[in-house]
Amino acid sequence: MKIVVCVSHVPDTATKINVGSDGKTIDQNGVTYVVNPYDEFAIEEALKTKEKSGGEVVIVSVGTDKNKDTIRKALAMGADSAVLLKDENYRDSFAVAKALAEEIKAQDARIIFFGKQSVDYDNSITGQMTAEMLGYNCVTVVVRLEIDGDKVTAEREIEGGKEVVETSLPVVITAQKGLNEPRYASLKGIMQAKKKKIEEKDAAAADNNLEIVKMFKPAPKAPGKIVGEDVSAVPELVRLLREEAKVI
Amino acid sequence: MLVKSDKNEILSYLSDAANFRGNAEKVYVPEKIEEVSRILQECFEAGTPVHISGMGTGLTGGRVPAGGVIVSTEKLNRIIEINKTEKFAIVESGVILEDFHKELKDQNLYYPPDPTEQCSSIGGNISNNASGAKTFKFGPTRDYVLALEVSLADGETVHLTRGEVFEKDGFIDFKSKNGRAYHIPVEPVNMPTTKNAAGYYMRKGMDAVDLFIGSEGTLGIILQAKLKLLPLPEDFLSMLLFFEDENVALKFVAELRDSSRNKKNEYIDALAIEFFDWNSLEFLRDDFPNIPEGERTALWIEQDVSGAESDNILLAYTELLEKYGVDTEEVWFATGDKERRELIRFRHAVSQKVSDFISRNNIRKVGTDLAVPDDKFFDFYHFCKNGSEHSGLKFIVYGHFGNSHIHLNMLPSNEDEYRIAKELYRELCAEAVKAGGTISAEHGIGKIKREYLKMMYSDRDLESMKKIKAALDTKNNLSPGNIFL
Repeated sequence: MKIVVCVSHVPDTATKINVGSDGKTIDQNGVTYVVNPYDEFAIEEALKTKEKSGGEVVIVSVGTDKNKDTIRKALAMGADSAVLLKDENYRDSFAVAKALAEEIKAQDARIIFFGKQSVDYDNSITGQMTAEMLGYNCVTVVVRLEIDGDKVTAEREIEGGKEVVETSLPVVITAQKGLNEPRYASLKGIMQAKKKKIEEKDAAAADNNLEIVKMFKPAPKAPGKIVGEDVSAVPELVRLLREEAKVI
Repeated sequence: MLVKSDKNEILSYLSDAANFRGNAEKVYVPEKIEEVSRILQECFEAGTPVHISGMGTGLTGGRVPAGGVIVSTEKLNRIIEINKTEKFAIVESGVILEDFHKELKDQNLYYPPDPTEQCSSIGGNISNNASGAKTFKFGPTRDYVLALEVSLADGETVHLTRGEVFEKDGFIDFKSKNGRAYHIPVEPVNMPTTKNAAGYYMRKGMDAVDLFIGSEGTLGIILQAKLKLLPLPEDFLSMLLFFEDENVALKFVAELRDSSRNKKNEYIDALAIEFFDWNSLEFLRDDFPNIPEGERTALWIEQDVSGAESDNILLAYTELLEKYGVDTEEVWFATGDKERRELIRFRHAVSQKVSDFISRNNIRKVGTDLAVPDDKFFDFYHFCKNGSEHSGLKFIVYGHFGNSHIHLNMLPSNEDEYRIAKELYRELCAEAVKAGGTISAEHGIGKIKREYLKMMYSDRDLESMKKIKAALDTKNNLSPGNIFL
């Protein structure tokens, strides 16, 4: 049984992002990339599923050669093989989902893991779209998962609580923080990952439905104001909060 | 310049990271280096004691005054120049290490000194000759100071460039910018060969710059420093190894150290070798639930690499680890900057967890900062550990084992235990000195470790140090109470 994990290659959350000169993309200068943090939970859950029920964990990623760093990390964590669906151009979530769905179909995989969202564009939609294109069941924002034969029981986070759902394979699961504790890549894993082949294919053709018109940074926050440093400043503070900031 | 005198406002300046407390009348926060001289001159004339505050991350009460005033360097925080071609930087003393490291990284440059506390200031680092994990390969702060601008106790400013002023015939002579001459007697003392932050640096033919490095604010206020930089290594290999048997881990440390120092294997050249005992791992389990069950010791190893070599380096480490029966599947390996930060967090978390435990249980820590010569280290480690086990105290050991440097923290839970811990601490210091080591490898003496300095140096040596202090600070005005009882 094949278990597919769809991973994306995103800017390190500690990296400083600037908008590129075209006003539509990010300036790549000094930006380092990492495995999308939510995808790490997805990889871990796939590995645990394999450890419990057997199978083969296949990493699939859409993008350029640069995605290989992320793929290698997933392989070092213990995934068995990987496919890079190449496209040099920007793809929106729909076009990414289209490429992934085609590959998953070709792999004949029935358990698919995603992170609940990629922290680059934060659309939180690729997993659901892929499931729809494949006609698979889909459970999102999963924090606990049990797969027993064809039966899938998942706990998902909802506003103010948790929801337990049951469904069956084939299924797309999108992973939320808390689902597990992702393992570290091991030295042995790194050595083995070097020997694992990354299969490269052209990503299935798909048109974007979205166009990025403009990208800009939020206006810088106005500097804070120190009204005073002891109790005597309180009346003035209250006045400013009421009259200037208009928050009380 | 800001001057603070409100009690509540200055409270945060009256203690340090060791929670050592004191008091002061006011805090000066100069924004220009010229202002420092003026404050010092006034205080000198009035006979007001002056203490110097960096970021307050010290562990020996060095910045904590018993009266007088405080000069805080927090606003003297400009990076004046980063010279890429000649690889140096000129910075004011209040620059925070983390900011400096970030700025350099953007320019592909590297400043290796890295005491675990990233929020410390460069001035504080120099005053303490700060070291840390990377000292194993790159040496302590001292090795990176090219020049210093220092404000002396009398308010005079002196600029010293390495390689220009040396000890000659028992004296160091220099002049301030205003032309005032200083004639400082230097009688060499027998300093340990280990890394060391205990007492003044006093060697025959020594450079005047070295006198101020590690002088803990007693000889002057560092205003500016010119620091040596290195090219940023292409990459860092960073990994955490787990061992079931502590003795195997120690043998591994010995071989890795020997291999790195003496180039026994062309691919093995660690820059840091850090040790964590079983109690450290227990403290960390909440934050790092993946720590394998049953493992009793961990080592964190880092090595700088250039891309082409990395496969060979990995292979060399794999072979070395297999020789010691380490399961390479359980070796945590940082595949990028993000994972490397995680491993650094692992190291930082230990000391943080210990501090949390202490404040939560309202106990006092008795922590060692002992280093001994490499050939004495393993016997010394066992002496420390056996003593601690025998005492019945709760304790935790981690440290820079690459440099034969132990942080053994005893965690007494009541007054009786505290007394036992203090006695044991004294025994461990004595043993370190007997082995030719130091009672303070990186934290300095401050006010907490003064009585132990006497174990390292004879009365005559300490008198020689005091003569230096007297020559530069005739009224004992600067950081009184630091280093000397």
